[in-house]
Order: sequence, then C-alpha cells, then structure tokens
Amino acid sequence: MTVGTPARASSTPRGRSPLEGIEPFLVELERFQGPLDLLLHLIRSQDIDIFDIPIARITRQFQAAIAHGLDDMPLERAGEFLEMAASLIRIKAQLLLPRPEKLEWEGDPRAELVRRLLEYEHFQDVVHVLERAESQRGRHFAKGYVPDRPAPEGMRPDLEVSWRDLLEAAKRIPEPPPPVRIRPPSTAVTVEEKVSLLRGLFEKAKRIAFDRLFKPWGTRAHAAASLLAALEMAKRQVLRIEQAGPFAPIWLFLGSGAPEDEDGEPAAERDT
Amino acid sequence: MTPEQIVEATLFASQTPLTPDELARADDDLTVASVREAIQALRDAYEQNGRSFQIYELGDGFQILTRPEFASYLERFDSVPRSPYLSGAALETLAIVAYRQPIGRIEIEEVRGVSASSVLRTLTDWELIDVVGRGEGLGRPLLYGTTQKFLDHFGLKDLDELPAPDELPIVLEGLQDVEPEPEAADEGAEVEASS
Repeated sequence: MTVGTPARASSTPRGRSPLEGIEPFLVELERFQGPLDLLLHLIRSQDIDIFDIPIARITRQFQAAIAHGLDDMPLERAGEFLEMAASLIRIKAQLLLPRPEKLEWEGDPRAELVRRLLEYEHFQDVVHVLERAESQRGRHFAKGYVPDRPAPEGMRPDLEVSWRDLLEAAKRIPEPPPPVRIRPPSTAVTVEEKVSLLRGLFEKAKRIAFDRLFKPWGTRAHAAASLLAALEMAKRQVLRIEQAGPFAPIWLFLGSGAPEDEDGEPAAERDT
Repeated sequence: MTPEQIVEATLFASQTPLTPDELARADDDLTVASVREAIQALRDAYEQNGRSFQIYELGDGFQILTRPEFASYLERFDSVPRSPYLSGAALETLAIVAYRQPIGRIEIEEVRGVSASSVLRTLTDWELIDVVGRGEGLGRPLLYGTTQKFLDHFGLKDLDELPAPDELPIVLEGLQDVEPEPEAADEGAEVEASS
C-alpha cells in the first residue's frame, strides 16, 4: 500500500459493454485498492444490478481475477482478497439452502455484502470529490514557492564545520589514561617497525583505517610512529591517505594512483 | 496606517495561513472583527484591480495565494518539492475519516475491506489526520479526525464544503428500502460531515 504516488487506480469504470458469460475476467489486481474495489468493478463493468448479484458468476470471476496476482502479493493483502472469496462462497452456499418465500430481503444472504459495496462506492465518490479539490488547491501557490536563487559557485567554503561535527570529533578522542599507572619502559617504537606492519597489512587488505594501526597498543609513541610511517610511505607513493572531511576517519590506501571509486566505501563508512 | 494595510502586510509576509486572532496581534487597535472586515475589503480590492493573487480561507486561517490561472507560469519553477498528490489508499482513508470522524482503525478497515494501519500512520505523519480521542471499546482504540492541514491540503474552509451525503450520486439512505435492518439504517444517518 503506497501513499504519495500519483497513480490513482481505484476508479471504477462504468458503463462498459456487458460481458455476459465471458470468463475468466482478466483484470490487473494491482489496480485495485482491495477486494471491495475489485468486486465493485466486476459488478459495475458488467452492468449487473447490485441488488441482484449473480453470486455464482461473480464468485467465479473474482476467483479467476485473484488467481493470477495472489502469488506476488504481500501476505496481508492476499489474505484480504481470500477472505472476500471465502465469504462469496459462503453466500453462494447459503443461497442454495431453501428459505421461506415471504422473507425476501431480510433473509437474503447477499444483503450485508450489498450494504458494504454501496457504502464503499459512496466513499469512492467522496474520493473523487477530494481528488478534484486536491488538484484545484494545487493550482494555488503561496509565498516562498519560487525557489531561492542558487548560491554562486565558489562562495561555498569547503572547510565549514558545524558544532555537531566538532562535538562528534571530540567524542572520538580517547579517554586519558588513568594518571597513576606506572609501567616499565616499553621497548622503543620505531618507524621502521610500523612501516613493515603496514606493508604486512596491505598484503591482506586494500585499505586500512588509520586508528586501527595503534589502537591495540594505546600509547602516543605508537600513534606517532604509525603517523610518521604512513606519511613516509605516502611520500614515497607507496600508499595514499584519505579523509572524507574534517575530523572524519582517516583511511590508508595501497598505491598512489587516483582513487578507484571516488564515492566508494570509505566515504560510506564515515559514520561507522 | 489603515487596518487593511496592516492586515495586508502581515498576510504578505506569512508563508502559512493566519487566523484572524493571529492577524489582530499586529496592532493594538485591531480586533477579530476589524481584521475580518479588512480581509473582505482587501479581497474586493484585489478582485476589482485584477491582481494575480487573492486571500483564501484555508481551515480557520487566511493566506495570500496566487490565483489558479497563473499555475502554468509558476509551474515552470517547479524545482521545490511540493506536497505530493495522495494515493488512492490515502484518499479513501481520508474520505472515511472526514465523514465519520472521530473514527477508529477497525471501523475504517471495515469500510475499505483492507488493512489501514500503514496508511493511518502516513496520514498522521503528514498531519492530515490526528488522534482526537479514544473509543469506548476493547483496548480503548485511538480515534482519528481530520486536521487544519487537511483543510489546507484540499483548499477547504471547513468540512461543510464537502458535499453532504445526499448530494453524492450514491445515496446511502436508499438502502432503507432494500434492507430494513436497523444497523443499515443507522449507517445512512452517520454519514454526515461532523465538524
């Protein structure tokens, strides 16, 4: 059930030539809002007297109509059509039962269906009134309709940063380590070590998130060495460094050529 | 400054319909009555001078809109997303809500013969309908009614502008001849635009 599309398919064309006995009655199920819409279409397009619906014929046509489209339908929608088919068959069965002659309409099992169909048709008329009103209203325009003049090229500063960006970036800054934490002097971190780490990683991955390089160690020495290694390799055009925007994650790519896909994955993964 | 000028300036500067009450706030000397008078005077003046716009009454407010004859010119600027035309399902649901409000989801589904929950959600999101209360039945179901935005969307002053049930081609009252059951007779009486 889509809302907002201009397609209007609920209208029930009337006054078509009666199709007596022609079955199956081919209709596009998609066009109908639901079982009542379809049923009303079958009745009106064949000039059937709504107060004397030939239930057997209509039931056959209804079943034939839904037989084609049912499989492609969402379960709920299919269920709505099936429910109607079932109640048509029930009415048909009730009509076969003998009933007292004098109780004409009161006992007619079709009465409730006729009431629903007429009620539905009534609201179809309201729908047409609303449609007309909507399109008439659409011809009136309010202040602010004509679009603003587009900003001239080059007026847009590239490095515009919102408070939200800044806050997001600030939130990514790791918590400072607890102040009293004495650890034995770690072995010196060398840039060469990081270069070989990077080379090793690039054998497995096409791109590497920069912060992954030093997170496992969590010290500034590792971060600094990683940065120097990355910069050194970028200088030698072994890899290139990309960042989609200020404070965005930094990605390292193997090779120095132009990015393979401009709007590829790294940009999409900015938020992760 | 005349009341007409003040009302005109306020309407001119607004992008949404304004009620007489809101318009009267523009000046201490303005009252709801004098605002209405001023609006009528402005309308007449626009009409006589052949202006391309007019003051229209949408729901309980007034707004300056272009006249329909100018639509084809303005549509050339159609780069702004406009409120889309509603789908058949949405219109069907709105029709039922407009005539039977306050009404719950179950009753709407009974008329349409199909589920209405997703349409109701969309229409509520678009503020064309709103929850106006809760029913008495099991689980105190939500009851829906149309909004000011509904009137604006269809360019209506109020719900009375919708045709009364007996002005529609299919008259529900006719059912009484066919089916003398009391429920069916009640259905006819219920189909009245309640505001």
